Amino acid sequence: MILLRRYGTLLALALIVLVFTIASPQAFGSTPNLINITQQMALLAIVAIGATLVMVLGEFDLSVSAVVSWAGIAAAALFAAGVAVPVVMIVVLVSAVAMGAISGFLVARFKVPSFIATLAFGTVIGGLTFWVSNGATMFSGIPAGFRDLGRGTLMGVPVPTLWLIGTAIVFWLLLDQTEFGRRLYAIGGNREAARLVGLPVRRDMVVAFALCAALAGLAGLLLTARLGSAHPTGGGGYLLQAYAAVFLGMTAFREGEPSVPGTLVGAAIIAVVSNGLTILGVPSFLQDLLTGAIILAAVLVRNFGRDGD
Amino acid sequence: MRAGILGLAFAGLMASTVGSFAADVAVLTPYQSSVATNQMINVFQDKAKAAGWNATVVDTRGDMGQLASRIEDVVAAKVAAIVLVSVDPTQIQDQVSAAAAAGIPVITIDGAKAPGVALNVTSDNFELGTKLSDFLFGKLGGKGNIVKFFYSAHPGVHQRELALDAALKKYPDIKVIADHYVVVPGPIDDARKTTENWLKSQGDQIDAVWAAWDEPAIGAQLAIEADKPDSKIIIAGIDGNPQAVELIKACSHIKGTVSQDFDAMAGLAAEGLTQILAGKTPEKVEVFAPAKLITPETLGVTCP
Repeated sequence: MILLRRYGTLLALALIVLVFTIASPQAFGSTPNLINITQQMALLAIVAIGATLVMVLGEFDLSVSAVVSWAGIAAAALFAAGVAVPVVMIVVLVSAVAMGAISGFLVARFKVPSFIATLAFGTVIGGLTFWVSNGATMFSGIPAGFRDLGRGTLMGVPVPTLWLIGTAIVFWLLLDQTEFGRRLYAIGGNREAARLVGLPVRRDMVVAFALCAALAGLAGLLLTARLGSAHPTGGGGYLLQAYAAVFLGMTAFREGEPSVPGTLVGAAIIAVVSNGLTILGVPSFLQDLLTGAIILAAVLVRNFGRDGD
Repeated sequence: MRAGILGLAFAGLMASTVGSFAADVAVLTPYQSSVATNQMINVFQDKAKAAGWNATVVDTRGDMGQLASRIEDVVAAKVAAIVLVSVDPTQIQDQVSAAAAAGIPVITIDGAKAPGVALNVTSDNFELGTKLSDFLFGKLGGKGNIVKFFYSAHPGVHQRELALDAALKKYPDIKVIADHYVVVPGPIDDARKTTENWLKSQGDQIDAVWAAWDEPAIGAQLAIEADKPDSKIIIAGIDGNPQAVELIKACSHIKGTVSQDFDAMAGLAAEGLTQILAGKTPEKVEVFAPAKLITPETLGVTCP
């Protein structure tokens, strides 16, 4: 029971993997497919790790999907103009950081509810994305060197997986091992108390939103590299799934707190379910039903353990 | 214990979905909610059933990243064939190439030619756009103001827009006074709301609505019917959507649709796949299904 209470969500992930492996040992359970799942979850997990930072503050950033789309389109437009890969990456990431900082400033300085501020600002970013792309999918002029940042393998590990590993380590250390991370948890726990003890609440909130947007921008760049094209609504699918991953992760490892390892488990559950159900040939509508049910079941397994029921 | 029960229940559910020995054909699209795409998928599924294939449909709701992942999944599952509907395969070229390299034939319906694609069955979208533009401009006598509904993200629909641009050069007295990038999913409601706003702001100046496909045309019709039913605005779209055809028959503001024969496209794709699965190579890599203009006159209706 103690095991269930502490590691219920992780056990749920293991159970889901086991069930799929039994149902499809040749396809799902094969090593290449399991490695491929880490590649498929990479971009979602990177966005979700960013969302974890603002969730630690007790806030939401609903503009992440718009930033993902923006980053892809901005990169494609710059490539079409002949700009070099490193310059494109720096410009796009800086623009994403600026977008996140604006959202954070609106929330921290003017106390606009993050739900509203980021929804509104996300709409502005969406408009900018459509303006730049003229609403069209962009896929000309994307250099092969850039594309290699989102595809292929390095020593047998998919490149997107390596990006995820690097991001997860950096942000796990940032949240768990630095004063900045502890300040974010303190602000999320009681903002007024954090302010009264002299923590730089506003500055830390702006930085957290900026880092969240930076990761969304990175995911947008990697998505464009992976697909070789940029779609003006390409990031649309990440918003709900990223927060689902964070919420799932909140039931793992820590008592109801967002954490990087928890978010990784959440993203893995979502990726494994999508991969496994597709391999088993489950139609889309049934996939939706089962995905929702499996997420609920994963949380329930954890809660049963917590209640000692 | 409970985790085990949940697992067993889930395994049972899984077991009920697998176990067929028929050829597995994965049908993937990002746009299943579109009437035309849905129609093609339904017809293809019927053909697949008749051919004894086990066709599974995956819809990623406009998400190309998800589409790439799901193609990787069905390649891992070693399906007999992959059918992509309403998507340009060059947008997911790596995954299409990987499928081809794994010996899995990829065919596209309403798609495009690309490396690794064994067969593409489609309409000539530029021709569709030209037919629509010529019809509409002819109805206006070569002079007037139009509003435009477009969706450049879909390569085929974008071709129609390019055809409009070409036609506008031939008709210098036709002016586009407003345009709108249609929101998908939900194009009918989006077009309805946009048209309502246009009618309020410049309703007296609009002579015609150019819709890149029929769903925005239907939305425009709903708005005009509600807010300006006596106006002379005419609407035309593309696809031959059954609802649009009914509205043409009912003498609404929709006066034409360039019909794509989606049933024929899905049928031709199924025929091509039958050949491919039998080890043969299709005669042509790209096959065009015929298109025709539907108007009140072609439907035998006389409107006032």
